Amino acid sequence: MSELKDKIRSFIVDNFLFGNDDGLTDGASFLEEGIIDSTGILELVSYIEEEFPFSIEDEELIPENLDSINNVVNYIEKKSS
Amino acid sequence: MNLNDQILIHHFLEKSARDFPEKVALIHEDIRATYAQINSKADQLACLLGDLGVTKGDRVVLILENCLEYVVSYYGILKAGAVAVPLSSDIKPEGIGFFLKELEPKVIIASNRSERALKAADITPYNIGALILRSPKFKWDSTTFSVFVWEDFINEKGNFAPDIKIDESSLACIIYTSGSTGIPKGVMLSHKNIVSNTNSICEYLRLTNKDIQMVVLPFFYVMGKSLLNTHFAVGGSVVINNKFAFPASVVKQMAVEQVTGFSGVPSTYAYLLHRSPLADYRKSLDSLRYCSQAGGHMSFQIKDELRKTLPAHTEIYIMYGATEASARLTYLEPEHLYDRKDSIGKAIPGVTVRIMGADNKEVSPGRIGEVVGAGANIMQGYWKDKQATERVLDKNGYHTGDLGYQDKEGFLYVVGRKDNLLKVGGHRINPQEIEDAIMESGLVIEAVVLGLPDELLGDKLVAIATPKDGDVNESHILSKCAQKLPRYKLPGSVILVKGLPKINSGKINRSKCLEFITGNKD
Repeated sequence: MSELKDKIRSFIVDNFLFGNDDGLTDGASFLEEGIIDSTGILELVSYIEEEFPFSIEDEELIPENLDSINNVVNYIEKKSS
Repeated sequence: MNLNDQILIHHFLEKSARDFPEKVALIHEDIRATYAQINSKADQLACLLGDLGVTKGDRVVLILENCLEYVVSYYGILKAGAVAVPLSSDIKPEGIGFFLKELEPKVIIASNRSERALKAADITPYNIGALILRSPKFKWDSTTFSVFVWEDFINEKGNFAPDIKIDESSLACIIYTSGSTGIPKGVMLSHKNIVSNTNSICEYLRLTNKDIQMVVLPFFYVMGKSLLNTHFAVGGSVVINNKFAFPASVVKQMAVEQVTGFSGVPSTYAYLLHRSPLADYRKSLDSLRYCSQAGGHMSFQIKDELRKTLPAHTEIYIMYGATEASARLTYLEPEHLYDRKDSIGKAIPGVTVRIMGADNKEVSPGRIGEVVGAGANIMQGYWKDKQATERVLDKNGYHTGDLGYQDKEGFLYVVGRKDNLLKVGGHRINPQEIEDAIMESGLVIEAVVLGLPDELLGDKLVAIATPKDGDVNESHILSKCAQKLPRYKLPGSVILVKGLPKINSGKINRSKCLEFITGNKD
């Protein structure tokens, strides 16, 4: 597993699953699986903006960029390249 | 079409299935379900529930996010003569026992999203007959109740013809509302309550079978439920989007599906304005006939920004209601948005709303009293809570707990909640006034003002707000407020956060906000 994926997974597990990653797959939709609610998405956004050197535009707030570990990792890689 | 011939809630679906069988009633991601398909599945579910022993008055609990299965279940339960009790799809294990104990449901229908919570809660002691799960992930061996997989269950052929001897006064739904004490109360709504309110809403919004509603509010919340009922009543369509956390995807789908209506609570609009490309889509929303807002006071700042951002042809309806009123009590005609600033309008057809004093007599225009609503939409009472029922229902109707007044032309205004008033020093303070002042600064997306117990002051004012951008700080906000508010109404501090905690409907969760501050202080 990549270092980036590890980092995102830990953030999700520590902040939203109380440290218990039981059954959390990299492709699972945060919203559909009830892992993160709308306030949580904003926490995720602010975490990404603090940790990485770019800001997230309003039109980028879409599930394809932010609604699973895989999507977040792909999005960050794309934005950082 | 005369809607008044429909006396039970599921008659709306049945009539639309007869009139427009092949019309798409529901759109959710890749699913496009017609009225005929939904009605036939709901009939099937009613028979299957009958086979499980469900009969008139039995409670069936629904723990589903907005989806086709929710809609089929809702109408299937009603067709079986039973009572639909939707609970939040984000329910936590420790919360489940409370509901099951007081509801004694015969069946629970849930999705895999709440399966983990149901498993953790141990529902064995509650004497449930069956649990029907959509796409379960866990094994459910050695349970004292039957467990069915929705996808198999719904394709069975039920034998039982449901005993449908119910009438308009029969209990149809119990919808939970948390109220001021934080203990959930089950609002009992009859078929007549919901049917009458549905007819009124269709009338004043002039809904027709051409209407397509974007639904981002959950159906288990009374406003979400009324979107479903009203559009199924007129043979319109609903588009479900459960991803409002990503507002851009919602706005895009509104354009693609050419929706005619959108509804939200204040935070929905705050986020649409400031965290979505709504303005860029202005030209693509040519079908959007109206936006409606309810679910609490929305600051004029947001109304004004919304008016300036939406296409000119899109009307804005400000509405007011309560779960206890089956949803709706009043609405403001769009042309009065500016000349009746902050009014909630007038009573909807078939409803009367009066402002009553402490002596239970109507007060004169301009004087503040409690908002009291009466009509066929007012609930039967709270489930198993006679005392709470007697506190709010009397011969005058439903006492909302909201304080308001009426102007000389009969327009109504709500100024705050009876139980939200704060005491700072010798002053009675209405937090809504301060929240409005913070919003008027134009620096924040949303704000809440709370009172922290203080030995000297009684309450000490603290605000929590979400800034529009990272450059905004506490003193910017306070200096703007100081231009509008007397010193004693200025919050002692403004805590800036990324987003305020919400309940599922999107309303701000004041008690979570309070916990947040006290947690911060400790």
